[in-house]
Amino acid sequence: MAATDGAMPPAGGTGDEAVKPGRRSLEEAASWYAALCSEDVTGAERQAWRDWLARSPEHASAWEHVEAVSRRFAPLHGTDPDAAVAGVAAARRGPVSRRRMLSGMAGLFGLGLAGWLGWRHTALPEVLMAWSADYRTGIGEQREITLADGTQVWLNTDSALSVEYRAGVRLLRLAAGEILVHTASDPGGRPFYVATRYGRMQALGTRFAVNHDQHRTRLDVFESAVEIRNAAGALQRVEAGQRADFTADGVSPLQAAERAREAWHRGVVVADDIPLQQLIEELARYQPGHIGVAPEVAELSVMGVYPAGDIDHALAMLENTLPIRIERPLPWWISIEAK
Amino acid sequence: MNTSEYASPPSVEHLYLDHHGWLQGWLRRRLGNASDAADLAHDVFLRLLAAPKRFDSPPEARGYLRTMANGLCIDLWRRREVEQAWLDALASRPEALEPSPEHRSIIVETLLEIGDMLGRLPQKAASAFVMAQLDGMPYREIAARLGVSDRMVKKYIAQAMLQCALIEAGLEA
Repeated sequence: MAATDGAMPPAGGTGDEAVKPGRRSLEEAASWYAALCSEDVTGAERQAWRDWLARSPEHASAWEHVEAVSRRFAPLHGTDPDAAVAGVAAARRGPVSRRRMLSGMAGLFGLGLAGWLGWRHTALPEVLMAWSADYRTGIGEQREITLADGTQVWLNTDSALSVEYRAGVRLLRLAAGEILVHTASDPGGRPFYVATRYGRMQALGTRFAVNHDQHRTRLDVFESAVEIRNAAGALQRVEAGQRADFTADGVSPLQAAERAREAWHRGVVVADDIPLQQLIEELARYQPGHIGVAPEVAELSVMGVYPAGDIDHALAMLENTLPIRIERPLPWWISIEAK
Repeated sequence: MNTSEYASPPSVEHLYLDHHGWLQGWLRRRLGNASDAADLAHDVFLRLLAAPKRFDSPPEARGYLRTMANGLCIDLWRRREVEQAWLDALASRPEALEPSPEHRSIIVETLLEIGDMLGRLPQKAASAFVMAQLDGMPYREIAARLGVSDRMVKKYIAQAMLQCALIEAGLEA
């Protein structure tokens, strides 16, 4: 680490390349922090701190590290301080070799802690499949793919898809999450399939959505038709405007397809007279962290079009029309209560 | 599967099929609990997925998996200890709410992480820093709780923040 005392040349990059703070700047930043947290801090001290901050990019960078340390405490905000002190005291006694901690692991995966906890509760074979998938999206992310034959696929939040185009077949494997498919006709006439662990669906020139989780696969058809063959060999043809759920053991009776299953690729969630609980579950898929709904309001009926990637906006819309109030005890913790 | 060398380095899927059952049994004996054993065996393979390793023989793979699993057992015991300390302190508060398991696990992770960062500091400096960070408790109140002067609290806060910022900046492990 280069010594950085005294005058420092201005940072070379344009903000992209942050200046690495030296020990000296960090010492100064830490002592400013201690001064600013005091209830006795004066206006003159605050001004002196601002001057210090503006004096060099290294100071600004050192201060960013101080803020990053404070952010690590965020999950404890609003919790009992005495309990936190006791917990930290117990944690200090252990071996100091926790670089392979959960949150560090979550970083390795490029997931938040909530995402990591999600994988932790998924069956391992599915995790393995999802992890080696060709296309993946994180929570809140959507993606549009055009395949070699012109088929368009939209990948919804938190999904994993593999594509196998071979001589006699076009095959998509959905390991987790949801896709919307608009198939193109193939010059070679190869059949088009979407497979999940519960079975496979053959598209008959069409537009349809597949949603897969640990418990079942769900198919909504919007144009033409799709044929399901589940793992046990049961066959079911699903026509435009229809929907079916299936598992390895069976296929549900046909129901009406839901518009919502087509709307998400336009970045919206459509509620068509559904319980609040169901809408929140749908919105929660785009949002790391926790959203809880109090039982007294869970069954309120909702109707409307809500932005998928903007939970704050969606909740504000709901708060305006329903007798509910939104609580945020923690930055990643939202709970919906009766007003 | 009991050959001494792998013909080609095995994939994580392959390792999972070969060793998952054995590893889970090993963990069950060590922990005396089937559900913790299943969780940790799961974690071992998740970690392997995140940071793949190349093994030339099954004994080598087993040795590595066992070392990793052992480290996770130690982590688990430590996590339980921290969780218990936190819950015990919480139980003595009349207004405390029972947190959900998800909430709890994130809090315990945070406590462990902060405990690591503050590991080298005196106990009073660590406590002062946690109190100041959590609710912005006034220095006077922290001082009264710890039985030290206000000036000492300010010194503790600066010292603790420096320790954490050095770790954050990668200047100290």
